Amino acid sequence: MSALDQPQVEASLENLLRDVQPRLKVLFARYRIPPQDTEDIVQQALLALIYQRQEVRDPAAWMMGTIRNKCLLYWREQRRKLYDAVDAAVLEFMAEPKAPDQEETDLRRDLSHAIEQLPERCRSLLALRYRQGYEPPELAERMGYSPSSINKITTRCLAALTRHLVATGLLCEDNRS
Amino acid sequence: MIDHPTPDALEQFILGQLSTTETREIAFHLLNGCSHCQQATSTLWEPTDLFEDTAVFEDVVDVAEEELEIEDGYDAVLDRVFETLAATEADFTAQRLQAQGLLAELTQVPAERQHLLVTNSRRFRSRALCDLLVEESHETGFQDPRRAVELSRLAVLLVDLLTPKECGGEDSYESLRARVWAQLGNAHRIHSDLEEAETALNVAEELLATGGVGLFDRARVLALLASLRRAQEQFADALQLFDRVVLIYKKLGQWNLLGRTLLQKSLVCGEAGDIESEMTLLRRALDFIDPQNDPRLFLAARHNLIHALNESGRSREAFALLFHSRPLYLKMGDRMNLLKLRWVEGLVAAGLHRLDQAEAAFKEVREAYAGIGLDYDAALASLDLAGVYVAQGRATDLLRVSEETLAIFQSRHTHRAALAAVLALCSAARQEQVGDGLVRKVSEFLKRARNNPNLQFAPNS
Repeated sequence: MSALDQPQVEASLENLLRDVQPRLKVLFARYRIPPQDTEDIVQQALLALIYQRQEVRDPAAWMMGTIRNKCLLYWREQRRKLYDAVDAAVLEFMAEPKAPDQEETDLRRDLSHAIEQLPERCRSLLALRYRQGYEPPELAERMGYSPSSINKITTRCLAALTRHLVATGLLCEDNRS
Repeated sequence: MIDHPTPDALEQFILGQLSTTETREIAFHLLNGCSHCQQATSTLWEPTDLFEDTAVFEDVVDVAEEELEIEDGYDAVLDRVFETLAATEADFTAQRLQAQGLLAELTQVPAERQHLLVTNSRRFRSRALCDLLVEESHETGFQDPRRAVELSRLAVLLVDLLTPKECGGEDSYESLRARVWAQLGNAHRIHSDLEEAETALNVAEELLATGGVGLFDRARVLALLASLRRAQEQFADALQLFDRVVLIYKKLGQWNLLGRTLLQKSLVCGEAGDIESEMTLLRRALDFIDPQNDPRLFLAARHNLIHALNESGRSREAFALLFHSRPLYLKMGDRMNLLKLRWVEGLVAAGLHRLDQAEAAFKEVREAYAGIGLDYDAALASLDLAGVYVAQGRATDLLRVSEETLAIFQSRHTHRAALAAVLALCSAARQEQVGDGLVRKVSEFLKRARNNPNLQFAPNS
């Protein structure tokens, strides 16, 4: 790139950004991304645009598509925190050492009942996780999933379980302390 | 009395915006079965559930825009980011210039020394150099497959020495790694080493699962993986992968790349013998490719469509499209495109049973390819000529052209399977037992085996 070309390129990128700014604001508002968390999203997208500029034909559409995807990933990441918390809480419930035999049996029955409400492929995965305490790599090996896909599958199953448990709770009325 | 979380806290809990401790406390509260809070959370899932389905989201954007409350904070953040842009871009340009010098330096020394330099000298630890190595490997591709492999190997070596910080963050680093490994796989594929290609592309695919790889690089990795599946003749997988690429380019509004992907997908259909789908995809590809911005790609799609129409017996339609496309070939003006034009003219003439015209075109093309050392193409043109001789019942000419082709392949050490196919044709020609079917079979086989020497020729299958 010649020195003469440089200011023109910068100017066009600047124009592009000013052009998409109102649409970006709508996008962020729609996805309810807190303003303080948008900085990283935009920085990352812009950096990628600069690196890939030569191949991108319509930068405005590219920016909007990329940022929309990053907003989705943002929420997936946030939600994962929630699923992890529920997962940890269930594991803690199950590992409670002070529970009398009957109470522990009831707890296991309640959890089994909750798991039974879930889609078929989540049932065996979660049963292994909570009954045997298997971690994702062990689940992958045991269930024949690839190491790269087990995290995604586990997250989906935890998502389903979380939705169910948050809506109904883990303990039935008569087991609540 | 039980302390319930506030409605705000419950909302933040569902949105995953609380600290680990707060999240844990509310999770316990809900798991213990607080029906009051369970009831309160039931309506809170909806907004983010909606985000999971972008199609639904697209519909909502326009409908309710005016009802949206846009926080003031966004402008401040966006202004701040945009202000740093000029500096970031200038930095990128400087790094790129420096990397060009480093690449020139590397290419002047033998491969072993290149590896030593990249491993031991900090000067070479540059993301821009890694990008350039990938680009250069891609460009070199078909002209010098061995060099393309070496360049991408160097890129793999370099990317492992870089840190996420040097690459602009974790996601940017993951994207670069995926691209580097995918390019190595692609270079191996072009070099006809499908096993090594599989290994490298598997690494790239695993990196996609981490979630950090950007959409654009994701599309690139998937497209290269699809090309590998095509070379492996796993057509269903290739088609599925191309569909995923199409979806990504749609999301990113990159219509020209979408057109290119449809063109690539049409090749899979063609090789799988589904000419109808091939033509449908080519027509769709032509709708997306801009002839002004991408004249070569546009012409390639047109050329393939003319070819497919002719192959499917619609030679009149092919002839009409060829008539309208001739200016595009001439506008390109380069020798290869002019040869492609002459060749397809011969094919369409053969389809229309204008065998004298076809013979003249195939002879011209064959001589031209042989003259510039492209023997494989010369051999393919010879087979089309053989098809004309079969149609005209010229057994002596058929035998002569078959033996000439065999001689070329033997002298150039062409891979064994291709040689076996031509040998089978010669043998049948000597016994005057060549039908149009055998010529087509050998021709089709040579086209498929060109980049896949592992294929075996079965004359009776």
